[in-house]
Amino acid sequence: MGRKGRFLIVVAGLVLAAVSATAAFGAHSSDPGITKTSIHIGGTFPLTGVASAYKTIPAAETAYFAYVNDHGGVNGRKIDFTVVDDGYNPAQTVPAVQKLVEQDKVFALMGDLGTAPGLATWGYANAHKVPQVFLATGDSFWGFCAHKSCQGSPKPYTIGWQPDYPSEGRLYGRYIAQNMPNAKIGIIFQNDAFGKNYITGLKQGLGAKKSLIVDQEGFNATDTTVTQQILALKAKGADTLFIVATPGQAIASLVTATKIGWSPTTFLANVSNIRPFLLAAAKAGANLDGLISSGYVAPMNDPNNAGNKLGKSIIGQYAPTLSADYELGDSNLMYGLGVAWTFVYALQHAGKNPTRASLEQALHSMNTGGNPFVYPGIKIQTSATDNFPIEQLIMNKWSGGPGGAMQPLGKLQNTGR
Amino acid sequence: MRPSLAALGTTAAAALVLAVLPFGLSGYHQALAAQVATFFISILGLNILTGYTGQISIGHGAFMAIGGYTTAVLSRDHHTDLVVTMAAAFFLCFLCGLLVGLPALRLSGVYLALATFALAVSVPQIPLKFSSYLGGSGGVQSAKTVSHLWLYAVSWSAAAVMFAVAWLVLRGRTGRAFRAIRDSEVAATSSGVALPVYKTLAFGISAAFAGVAGSLFVIGTNGFAQPSEFGVLLSLQILIGAAVAGLGSLWGVIVGAAFVGLLPTISSDVPVIGSSHGQDVVFGVIVIAVMLLLPTGFAGLLHRLARSRARA
Amino acid sequence: MVDLARRLPIRQQRLPASPVILLLAAACIFLVVGCLQSSIFAQQTVAGLATGVVYGSLALALVLIYRATEVINFAQGEMAMACVYIAYQLIQWGFSYWAAFFVTLPIAFLLGMAIEATLIRPVQHRSVIAVVIVTVGLFILIDGLVAWKWGADIKFMPSPFGNRIYHVGSVAIARQDIGTIIITLFTVVLLWALFRFTKLGLGMRAAALRPAAASLAGVRVDWMLAVGWGLAALLGAVAGLMAEPSQFVLQPTLMQPILLYGFAAAVLGGLESPAGAVIGGVAIGIFLNLVGQYVHFVTSELRQPFAFAVLLAVLLVKPTGLFGRRRIRKV
Repeated sequence: MGRKGRFLIVVAGLVLAAVSATAAFGAHSSDPGITKTSIHIGGTFPLTGVASAYKTIPAAETAYFAYVNDHGGVNGRKIDFTVVDDGYNPAQTVPAVQKLVEQDKVFALMGDLGTAPGLATWGYANAHKVPQVFLATGDSFWGFCAHKSCQGSPKPYTIGWQPDYPSEGRLYGRYIAQNMPNAKIGIIFQNDAFGKNYITGLKQGLGAKKSLIVDQEGFNATDTTVTQQILALKAKGADTLFIVATPGQAIASLVTATKIGWSPTTFLANVSNIRPFLLAAAKAGANLDGLISSGYVAPMNDPNNAGNKLGKSIIGQYAPTLSADYELGDSNLMYGLGVAWTFVYALQHAGKNPTRASLEQALHSMNTGGNPFVYPGIKIQTSATDNFPIEQLIMNKWSGGPGGAMQPLGKLQNTGR
Repeated sequence: MRPSLAALGTTAAAALVLAVLPFGLSGYHQALAAQVATFFISILGLNILTGYTGQISIGHGAFMAIGGYTTAVLSRDHHTDLVVTMAAAFFLCFLCGLLVGLPALRLSGVYLALATFALAVSVPQIPLKFSSYLGGSGGVQSAKTVSHLWLYAVSWSAAAVMFAVAWLVLRGRTGRAFRAIRDSEVAATSSGVALPVYKTLAFGISAAFAGVAGSLFVIGTNGFAQPSEFGVLLSLQILIGAAVAGLGSLWGVIVGAAFVGLLPTISSDVPVIGSSHGQDVVFGVIVIAVMLLLPTGFAGLLHRLARSRARA
Repeated sequence: MVDLARRLPIRQQRLPASPVILLLAAACIFLVVGCLQSSIFAQQTVAGLATGVVYGSLALALVLIYRATEVINFAQGEMAMACVYIAYQLIQWGFSYWAAFFVTLPIAFLLGMAIEATLIRPVQHRSVIAVVIVTVGLFILIDGLVAWKWGADIKFMPSPFGNRIYHVGSVAIARQDIGTIIITLFTVVLLWALFRFTKLGLGMRAAALRPAAASLAGVRVDWMLAVGWGLAALLGAVAGLMAEPSQFVLQPTLMQPILLYGFAAAVLGGLESPAGAVIGGVAIGIFLNLVGQYVHFVTSELRQPFAFAVLLAVLLVKPTGLFGRRRIRKV
């Protein structure tokens, strides 16, 4: 090797050193909300108002982060999770998120709940390149819009977590087409994007059997009684009922159907497949046996499930006031644990010194079957082209009467797309 | 309503403070201050109707919804400049206000309160029904979003313009007619005030103000308009702001606006009442206390203070 | 009592005008024929009746207050909701449902009186706007207090009437609905009797209609108005306690939709007529169900706007409602 060659090597070495120094420097000076010992994240949730039934989700997430912090944190960093109430009102979500990002200087938004609140803030989050991680809503926007332009631009910094609503609808549609070819389906649905997403999926799943749907009746998110709609469905001769509702109206639908002396085969959207609420419906007179729904979190009635055991001990230690809810099988708690676990996983894969950009990268290259809080066998997978973390569901069916529980129905299924 | 030197001085000082303020504020606080401007405009509008003409409205959130959707839809479909959409919201809501004002001629007192309340409940349902055009529960996203500084500057400029409009309207013949109607409809009629014309006009003007406020409200919500932003609570907030400000005076409006615009944020940092339930409690208690102890609101308090100083 | 009645020019409630009677009769015949023709029509009518009586009893509470103090109480629904939470708390402490029910009612009565005496009376004579704003403030305050004390999440109460269902022909009627209808109507009749046959009722009517004359005749007008608020709060509590089991869940938003329909019912009935309020409530309950069943343009988003369109139409065509009397505006 001549002098020239040696010179080139030295130059190359210097350049390399400079680049890596810059990179290292970049990583250090990088993003707000993260220091050597801590990482600050925040999320908006309906702690009050119509959707406050979901307020146990952030409580479980907080508990899981406390557990992780007590076990050394993530690469030595403790997670500080700020939970803000937005009352499920997008007009409150916007200032709340601005405050989290600009005043509290959070590193990332985590777990924000609700479709409309998400739509009101995702433009802001992406413009500021703040990761908006694992929105707690099953709208399909969060999956499709990472690359596709939605509302003016792609939204790569936003990602959901749970299987989207159309996927779940498709699952029931396929089940009915295969197992109940003569069903007469009546749908009661919340008359908004949430409800209509499910109906779209159901129709896709039914395929050529779309005509099995004999009637669909909507109600408003603020309605408190659904008697009129249930009566109309029965009158149309439906023998299969699909309930697309949040817990309050789901309970009302289940009880009302029984009270008018109607016993259709009932499918329930899994946002309301939460045992304490179903138990309350049974207490008010609903007949739950044979009720079909689906799930993706670890079964809380299986004492041998590892996630269930771990979840119980974490809730017992870090959120003892929620232990009673856990015992009843409040799957929102398991949901929160599962989301928090996935966040920690993504953070671990975002490098020793994560930046917002490296977290975004990590979120788009997840691949793990290790989340103990999801149903055994479910893989959390994303790629450059796939922004849907969970795409598997287990159908389940209620048995055991008023004090019973959901039991798995068949095997874990890919929801397909 | 001849402006006294003191009033002009106060206005100029307030304008100066507002012009300098953004340079000392963080972006987030600029957005918060812009929200106060939004309430300022809507409370001003309600005050013209309720404070000066004596017609109650518990439905001004409905006009804000119309204004807000005007902005979002125009921006989404035609990429209209946001300031232009504010003007469009002004005129559209002026027309809507006239339309509501006409039947309101036959109603007064509690009946008008109920009818306008019905408006507040019903209007946000309309985008849900016509979801292909108005976005349904998925809302409407404007094509453009703005910086905090833009929002601050435009909001307070709009507030200044609207304040000037209100002042001009109220000091002239129209304002005298409004006050005459408030004090006694019979006396007003007998002294030649065309009751239907002025009562309807008051509704139109008031609604136009709310329309501009609604437009700014949506721009401040990242350009996103969605039905649940315009719930009944919004209408109640405007009414409460007007009551705290003092009905029938323009000078207290800034206090009323600051009260409803800032209380939720300020109280969320106070322990104990930090939850939004705690805010509701504080909100309710203050409203009732103001009504019981300060019947003329903050404006009346100022007035009394000024008078007692003048006497001293 | 007779003496007092003679000295005070209180007219007994007159029968409503004959066109209204005819209209009601026609509506009844329509409903009966419809029910005999079609079981779904019958089923919707029965369900509408059960929700309608609850609207009606809250509307009646609004009317009581309007007659006593000429204001609309926007906090009526929230006061009722707070009473349901009180009953909930009693049940948590081990009371049976019905024990809690009967303990809650006097609490509601005292609460109503206290609110009138401390919050309403001072602003009463100022303006309608002032009183409305105070009740709006009360609405927000009660909402906040309840959510603060009990949380805003869903709670459950035991069912007062059990879960039995009766079948009449092909129409299923829940015992729950029958119980709701009976309790509500019973309360209404009891109140009517109180107003009609007792000295207290007479005094209250006198205080509301002719306050000056009543106070000359020795009626303590202030006291009577407070009692009026108390009774309205009690009635609201009954409405709330009957509404809760029909929604199956308890949350702070319990009474908000019911208050809206209660307003519509009260206006439909004429704001001053107790019978009108109850009939208005039942009419709205049944009407909305039948419209939902048969008029397909009126989907769920349009239910409330539709109810209010009816309200507005009534206000414009006949501002005194179905049963109200025209008031002469004094100059």
